[in-house]
Amino acid sequence: MDKWECLVCGYVYDPAVGDPDSDIPPGTPFEDLPDDWVCPECGADKDMFEKLE
Amino acid sequence: MRFVIIGNGVAGVTAARALSDAGAEVEVYTEEAHHYYPRPRLQKFLAGEIELEELPLYPLSWYEKRGIAVHLGVEVAGLDPRAKRIVLTDDRQVPYDRLLLATGSRPFVPPIEGVDKDGVFTLRTIEDALAIRRWAEGAKRAVVVGGGLLGLEAARALTVLGLEVTVLERGPHLLQRQLDADGGALMRELIGAMGIEVVLEASSQAILGDGQASGVLLQDGRRIEGGLILISAGVRSNVRLAQDAGLEVNRGVVVDEHLQTSAEDIYAAGDVAEFQGQVYGIIPAGLEQARVAAANMLGREQAEYQGTIPSNTLQVVGIDCASIGVVHPSEGEGYQELRKSEAGVYKKLVLKDGRLVGAILLGDRKDAAPISRLIRRGADVSRYAERLLDDDFDWKGLL
Repeated sequence: MDKWECLVCGYVYDPAVGDPDSDIPPGTPFEDLPDDWVCPECGADKDMFEKLE
Repeated sequence: MRFVIIGNGVAGVTAARALSDAGAEVEVYTEEAHHYYPRPRLQKFLAGEIELEELPLYPLSWYEKRGIAVHLGVEVAGLDPRAKRIVLTDDRQVPYDRLLLATGSRPFVPPIEGVDKDGVFTLRTIEDALAIRRWAEGAKRAVVVGGGLLGLEAARALTVLGLEVTVLERGPHLLQRQLDADGGALMRELIGAMGIEVVLEASSQAILGDGQASGVLLQDGRRIEGGLILISAGVRSNVRLAQDAGLEVNRGVVVDEHLQTSAEDIYAAGDVAEFQGQVYGIIPAGLEQARVAAANMLGREQAEYQGTIPSNTLQVVGIDCASIGVVHPSEGEGYQELRKSEAGVYKKLVLKDGRLVGAILLGDRKDAAPISRLIRRGADVSRYAERLLDDDFDWKGLL
């Protein structure tokens, strides 16, 4: 599964970890995050993320 | 050890989070009536695109679980660095072992005649946004004073609310800080296409209207009509507490590379902090400073802050815009600029001694992430210089 990076603050969403602060369990692909999910570090919207390759 | 933080913006809460990660208990005092919300989201809230309940980033349980006690709506009256305690406005005294000042900044209101009239606003808090929304219901036209990032975002939000909006910019182009003349011109074009009018070189002299604002009078005599005036002319650090307590203060509270102020056991981070003469006023700097300050407050390591490469990556009124590092290179200092402008896209890359030090990417952010990383790294790109602006240049291949 791909990692995604926040363009605003550099936070990297790692599906293996999920986002415990927002109750997103490990194993959740970025694409499956809810539309209103925001960066847990800076609050940027989901569409401010780019896939890391 | 007693950790106290004043302010629950991005710097305060990031530090609280880092301290609690290390198992510390943290107390946060804030004048805000609301738990931490990312301030850029206020624009969407103003536009009515998200609800009040969606603003806070973390649920209450997040604070409880982490042992972070947030005291909302509490004003701090003063600091006593010698006795190591803060004093609240109700005279309560709160002792600390380590204190973090994360008091942020407030909108700067330039000396324009009549700014105290009804219908003149600034946008910084949830309460501000609510007041603007109420006023917007009875207004048809709005004037935004200031063509910076927040001014343009607010202009977009007001458009969504159904108002006709004019943006007044003092300088020769929009987004003075993030863009150059060519980028600013394209931004104006793109924004104009969305129905937002822009007036450049517009110095506001007075707010027109009898008790209630009806427009803005410019110094050159032009009159711009609007019953809702939003002043968006930058921010100033909230330094009063530090100043009154005798800490070294310049534009912001002066900090060293450990984010420590001139007073022992008092640290500062975010919009209130001034590091090597600079008050950054951007989220990435607030995040980095808060993490370094927290590490040093814990005393487990000597973390050093080395400054933040200014970076703004965002969507301005839905237009992708990234401005990273040096975008206004001084002449005669050996900078090289590469530019390309076509079909609604403007790109500029700034090199020094072959190294990538800055970029403007407007209308296309496809390569913003790798370019930003290469700038932070100071990567030598000289051997690709001729191909860097090619649309299919493989930036990720350089990482």
